[in-house]
Amino acid sequence: MKPFLRLIIGVSFSDNEPFRQHKQFLVLGNHNSHLDTMSILASLPWSRIGEVHPVAAGDYFGKNPVLSFFTRTFVNVLLINRNKDPSMPQKPLEVMDQYLKEGRSLLIFPEGSRGEPEKLQEFKAGAAILLSKNPSIPFIPVFMSGMGKVLPKGDGLVVPQECSIQIGSPVFTTGSVDEITQTIQQTIVELQEGDSP
Amino acid sequence: MDKLFNNFLRVSPEASDVLVLVFGLLIFFSTTFFIWSKVKPEANMKELIDRTNSWWKIIIILVVALFVNKAITMIALAFLSFVALREMLSRFELDATNRRLMFWCYLSIPIQYYAAYIAYYRFFIVWIPVALFIILPTRRLIAGHVKDALRSVAIIQWALMLTVFSLSHIAYLLSLDLPDDFTAGNECLILYLIFLTQFNDVLQFIWGKTLGRHKIIPAVSPNKTWEGFLGGLVSTVAMAYYLRFLTPFTDTQALAAGGLIAFFGFLGDLNISAIKRDLNIKDMGNAIAGHGGFMDRLDSLSFTGMVFFHVVHIWMVPPA
Repeated sequence: MKPFLRLIIGVSFSDNEPFRQHKQFLVLGNHNSHLDTMSILASLPWSRIGEVHPVAAGDYFGKNPVLSFFTRTFVNVLLINRNKDPSMPQKPLEVMDQYLKEGRSLLIFPEGSRGEPEKLQEFKAGAAILLSKNPSIPFIPVFMSGMGKVLPKGDGLVVPQECSIQIGSPVFTTGSVDEITQTIQQTIVELQEGDSP
Repeated sequence: MDKLFNNFLRVSPEASDVLVLVFGLLIFFSTTFFIWSKVKPEANMKELIDRTNSWWKIIIILVVALFVNKAITMIALAFLSFVALREMLSRFELDATNRRLMFWCYLSIPIQYYAAYIAYYRFFIVWIPVALFIILPTRRLIAGHVKDALRSVAIIQWALMLTVFSLSHIAYLLSLDLPDDFTAGNECLILYLIFLTQFNDVLQFIWGKTLGRHKIIPAVSPNKTWEGFLGGLVSTVAMAYYLRFLTPFTDTQALAAGGLIAFFGFLGDLNISAIKRDLNIKDMGNAIAGHGGFMDRLDSLSFTGMVFFHVVHIWMVPPA
């Protein structure tokens, strides 16, 4: 996967050392493209790949069994239910929290849905709530640029262009949910600023 | 050395002479820079050392790509076109309405190189300047995008010419039907072209650094001087004459080819410099350590490749 992304798509990867430092973490990144998930998973060292579950919307990826099977099997996705559906037994945050308690890692895009290319949207609180409940788990900020140009929302055609993924150092947080959301947003913006020349 | 080459790669004796020279130069520069950086650690040698290390990689890849077989050379050059094109398209701020045009550009690469591979000259020479010239704006018309139409189509077509059309001429050198008494092999023409183009770049740089006084076009590139240009020209012509055993050229033709490579290499270099100046960037990318992007290294070659191909074509291939 990594050679393909590097050679054909034109992704440049930063060092994946931050993923090696701790056994468990939350990966938080900006979200413009399905390529984001692929690049983050491709950046993981072998020993971590099975442990990291991207969190994705059940109403999108779960809507047909083929897609659902594919994402669950190959991408290790944890599907959650975005709509408040009474038939679902558990609330999304509880499911995610349980995964963390079991020692697994999650990949969350705090922006929620894929936004317009190269623009950060308002961060949602979910990831921060999880972090405040599990202060012993660090988060690893990731900033990706250019991915929305390769494979934007609402378009199925992959057009190779140069893009990059920057992985920041792990951060431990404490404080209120709002403060943590602030910290997350700030670290990702810092990566963005470091990325642009 | 000869034996080693011949066991793994199909290298003619002419080519192996040059390769010995090239690797000799590399070893010389690597050793010099290594000793220099040990003797004078305060001198900032990092860029030069990075540059030399990248040269090692480029040359080793080039030798393997050039001498295994024709198909490998074609695929390698096509891939080079692809990454260079991707780099250029990424540098210019093109919006999402151009995605489908870009996709056509990428698709055009295998087609162009296949035409070179099967030596289908009539198609090869019109595919990008004529067919893509019509396809690209048509694709935009179908989508109904009007804003920035001229800018987008012009930039994309031009990037395609520089990276795909021009570099594919180098690949086509392998398909030319050359006179029977020329035994060195067509890949020696590529070796000759690339070696002289890069030799010219380096020599212009060295002459310019040591003797350069009078600037040629300071608005485009402050480092280009008459002394550098003329020094490079004379050195390249001499080297072209010396290496003429790689080609089917007569003595006069070799001298002329050297002059053309020096002159058009200089123009190709300035051409890319002007674009970089326009975009306000130093390098086109950061793919090759110490060199910048692919187009920073291929700048001269994007011009010399086409000129050299047509020179060989006109001199050596009788009209059908």
